[in-house]
Amino acid sequence: MSSLEAGADDFAYEQPSEPKPLTPASPGELKRLMKDWRAGRATRNVLQAMGDAYVAVFAAVMIGAMVVNVILKAQRTVAQCTSATCLSARAILPWAAFAATIAVALAVSRLFGPVLASAAEGFWLLDAPISRSKLLRSRLVGAIAAAFLAGAVIGGLISALTGSGQTGVLVWAGATALSAASSVAFAAAQQGLERHRLTHLATYVFGVLAVGALFSVVGVAAGWFSLGLSDDVGIELGLIMIAGSTLVLLISAVLAALRLGQIRRTRLLSGGALVSGISGAFFALDIGLARDIVVERRAIERGHVHPKRGKGLGLEALIWREWQRLWRFPQPILVLAATVVVPYAADALGMSVLTPVFAALALFGAIIPLLNGLRVLTRTGGLARCLPFSLARIKLASIAVPAILAGVWAVVTTPAYLGFGDGAVDRPVPQAALTAVATAAAGLLGAVRWTQAKGVDFGAPMVASQAGAFPPGLVTNLFRGFDVCIITTAPLLLGLSPWWSLGIAGIAAAILLNSMDAETLRARQAEQQKQLAEQRKQRTEAAAKQRKR
Amino acid sequence: MAKRSTILKVSGLRRAFGPNTIFDKFNLEVRTGEAIALTGRNGAGKSTLLRCLVGADRPDDGSVEVCGNAMNEASPEIRRDVATVIDDLDFFPDLSVVEHLDLLARAHGIADPDEAVDEVLEEVQLVPQSGQLPGTLSSGQRRRLALATAFVRPRKLLILDEPEQRLDTEGVAWLAQRLKSERQKGLAIVFASHEPELVETVATRVIQLGAARG
Repeated sequence: MSSLEAGADDFAYEQPSEPKPLTPASPGELKRLMKDWRAGRATRNVLQAMGDAYVAVFAAVMIGAMVVNVILKAQRTVAQCTSATCLSARAILPWAAFAATIAVALAVSRLFGPVLASAAEGFWLLDAPISRSKLLRSRLVGAIAAAFLAGAVIGGLISALTGSGQTGVLVWAGATALSAASSVAFAAAQQGLERHRLTHLATYVFGVLAVGALFSVVGVAAGWFSLGLSDDVGIELGLIMIAGSTLVLLISAVLAALRLGQIRRTRLLSGGALVSGISGAFFALDIGLARDIVVERRAIERGHVHPKRGKGLGLEALIWREWQRLWRFPQPILVLAATVVVPYAADALGMSVLTPVFAALALFGAIIPLLNGLRVLTRTGGLARCLPFSLARIKLASIAVPAILAGVWAVVTTPAYLGFGDGAVDRPVPQAALTAVATAAAGLLGAVRWTQAKGVDFGAPMVASQAGAFPPGLVTNLFRGFDVCIITTAPLLLGLSPWWSLGIAGIAAAILLNSMDAETLRARQAEQQKQLAEQRKQRTEAAAKQRKR
Repeated sequence: MAKRSTILKVSGLRRAFGPNTIFDKFNLEVRTGEAIALTGRNGAGKSTLLRCLVGADRPDDGSVEVCGNAMNEASPEIRRDVATVIDDLDFFPDLSVVEHLDLLARAHGIADPDEAVDEVLEEVQLVPQSGQLPGTLSSGQRRRLALATAFVRPRKLLILDEPEQRLDTEGVAWLAQRLKSERQKGLAIVFASHEPELVETVATRVIQLGAARG
């Protein structure tokens, strides 16, 4: 009789003696053990590695020194400027940077965790009977420290470049650093409670404050109103911000540390998976893929939606769905609305000539999230194959809604090109309107190019370089989209008529929407080569026959 | 009895990756009501052949004709006639299951899209998941959604790459019956499969790829 047939009751087994309880290793011991293993496998020490990479280290030191020198020079030059524009920028831009840094720190923290763990840690360590909070403490401290450093750089840089004095730079660097650190700590404290509503709300509030601050720079520079903020008042307020941020940081950090053990493993691992996915995409310089990962993650977080019935038939159905999806995830519209301030700010700050370039780049960044439909339809071709339309018509339908929004953006930004800041270029209304339309077209088409760009083809022939072989697309991939923005706005930069820009935009649109991209051209080239080879073969055969005769 | 017309005609198809020839001088004619099963071990070239048939890959030589027209993936006529489920099918991350099907039904101009969608949704047993976003579906549910995209729209030719993948036993049995019924209604089907039950129930002809090697 086999054991399977016997049934469970027939098995005789020996009652095992109660196992002796084991003392689990502490997280510190485990970390030391892993460090020892890693160190044991190392084939080079830090000094040797730096010796190998001395060119890179030398270049980094040189470039760093140059950057610091440029910043100091710019600070000294701008500090002498006493126009209304300079004063408004000096007084308000550090505030905008302060609020924007908090908003970004909160948004990034919410997206990644901020406390996270890799898949390996999740599988091998988080399952073990060890204190999870002790294990994760270094992660929390690391995230807070990283935010502190990033905040200090941003705050210091903005205040220096707007001409603040040494004290002002130090105060704003400290305030922005502490506010960024406290934002991460706050998000971590919320993560421990599995709550994200407050973090979400605070992100929007500080985002709106940042845009509001930018608007007030424009208002003060244009002379619409005065805020009466002197350098001294700004420093005093900055010190108050330092005190407030420190208080929030201390309370949030303590709460976050106490709640570390409560964070679910899935939440920790999803942050880790996101980081590894995004870092992989960045390693291949595929920023589109990195964005896809974030978009997918947001959709998974949402999980379920109330289905909406479509409208229309044919292409109309596709356009209608684009519209519905926009209302389902409306955040990109807010970002688009915020970018309206860019041309006004650039003009008010006396950078009239560069305004179309800055505005086009801002619109380019804001339109990309509105082109998710185009991205999905062009990245693999599988879904587009299900639709009974040519690719050009599918693309047109996918960009119809963003194009309408870009049109509205052009109308709203037209007054920015009339000229109202110090030393601004004055343009008549028709020319200002055409400039705004050309700028909007540049931003839209740049975003279309960026969105439908294929990833780098690592199977293509490589280019040899000092740093090793790399596919040629690796470098050009970084500039996709930016190139269209720059080329389209170049005539405006050179003081030519906006019609030149509109002409370039028309050519770019024809190329982008008719799929005359590099891949299609390569495919056509391959087809032609195939035909040539066939003709050559036929000629050779004919010649061989003649010779036989 | 109605005369069977040729839906798919493949002549002298060749595909090679460097020195490795996947298939050469491959000929095939599929008429209405015929189902061709492609079998063979992993790497035999089933998926590559199907990708060449739908225009997702470019053969080195030979031609593919669908309903008398040369295969051109970008052609709206071909997209209207050929429904495919191969590995490159993507989904909108922010559209729910039912909205994907509704979009396809409307894009193809189906007169009553709601009814068509409800019917297919019930058939692929995704009614409870109708409001879910694709990222939250299990791999089996994603496969059912992929199959639903092929069944919710009009079609003359179905091209499926291992459609049984990730389906449970009941799912495979359902799929076999569904494809059989499609064939009996006059559709032409070409599919690659490792599932003997599916091949036996659906196929009118079986082509084993890479047989010479093994």
